[in-house]
Amino acid sequence: MNQDQSVIEVTHMVHKYGRTEAVNDLSLRVGRGKCYGFFGRNGAGKTTTIKCLLNLLRPAAGSVRVFGLDPARDEVGVKSRLAYVPDYVAFYPWMTVRNVLDYLASFRPRWNRRTESELLGQFRLDPTQKARALSRGQKTQLALTAAICAEPELLVLDEPTSGLDPIVRREFIQTVIGAYQEADPGNRTVFVSTHLISEFEGLIDEFTIIEGGRAALTLGADEARARYKRIRARFASEAPAVDFPQAKQVRREGRELELTVNGHSEEILERLRALAPEELTTEALTLEEIFVAALK
Amino acid sequence: MLIQLNFKSGKPVYLQVVDQVKAAAASGALRVGEPLPSIRPLAEELRINRNTVAKAYAELEGQGVIETVPGRGCFLKENNSPFRKDIRLKMVAEEIDAAIVQAHHLRVEDKEFLALVKERLEAFEATNKAHEAKAKEQL
Repeated sequence: MNQDQSVIEVTHMVHKYGRTEAVNDLSLRVGRGKCYGFFGRNGAGKTTTIKCLLNLLRPAAGSVRVFGLDPARDEVGVKSRLAYVPDYVAFYPWMTVRNVLDYLASFRPRWNRRTESELLGQFRLDPTQKARALSRGQKTQLALTAAICAEPELLVLDEPTSGLDPIVRREFIQTVIGAYQEADPGNRTVFVSTHLISEFEGLIDEFTIIEGGRAALTLGADEARARYKRIRARFASEAPAVDFPQAKQVRREGRELELTVNGHSEEILERLRALAPEELTTEALTLEEIFVAALK
Repeated sequence: MLIQLNFKSGKPVYLQVVDQVKAAAASGALRVGEPLPSIRPLAEELRINRNTVAKAYAELEGQGVIETVPGRGCFLKENNSPFRKDIRLKMVAEEIDAAIVQAHHLRVEDKEFLALVKERLEAFEATNKAHEAKAKEQL
């Protein structure tokens, strides 16, 4: 494998729709076996980037490599090794669930029947049901089942949970990724775009936040939680009017002070302790809160 | 053994798993020769990535806390640290230093700190005995 362990490597990629730059000088690298989050608001350039990975769109500049290959020149070489689930899936309406799976399996060198029946059971999908009768959530479940049964080296998911209700969502993504990583986890890479970040909190190893077509932040999840913190201090009387230039955000409310920080937390804590607060607490931000803080 | 994660602690997730397995072993909630949960069910239960659990188990194995029996899973090992005694003491000293710093900032006096250490040791002892008693009952 060239490019050593990267499964996806995007360098200085640009894509324009007419004069509008949807992706502007984006670079990112996804390592083998990682679960990589691609976070951004609607219109940030997530889907455009994914389409460039799949040669559904051609970048205007920069380069895209998947498994070290150029998807535009080696389309089959790339696509035969990955599975892609778009944010809105459609099947031939007259096919049954069984027909859909058999049809999709016919394009694949491998198909794991055991995973198939396991997931159909867990999602309570009836193989005899016609695709036209499936709800949006069921269609997504069927598409994900099909994606995983093919045992690809890379799973590309574009907003996979957006059509599902909040209770089903978390359970479901856990099941899917658990089943996907079951065999040969070192060779199972996930690239998932979403703006519903909290569901992926524990799954993500590393992420990029995209904003206005550019990478606003790329970090490991543990590293991000170690850097982004919320510090709260309560004082015996009115909170002192001290400046904290290193904090990203400072809120003052009577005797309380709340600081959102990105790094420098030890120095800030040291300064706060010198002010002798009654209580001083620190907690890490969740990935969703980090997303919000990074875009402010 | 029940593992509970707290993303808000800011501590790497795999280290939270490592520390909780060690704590379970110290308190007797997990006994020598008992199996640890397998990777996939634990990952699904904790809603974390399988790789994170695998990394935690690899770390525990590296530290000599658990051993992997191919095809059967991971088990808690007899408490034989692979490290030399002086190194083990140094590792514990580092943890104590962190607690001392914390105690200083929270204005806990030396005497109170020492009393607390003793109290915690006794608490672990007590849970350990309770677990042992339960194990005997089951036999």
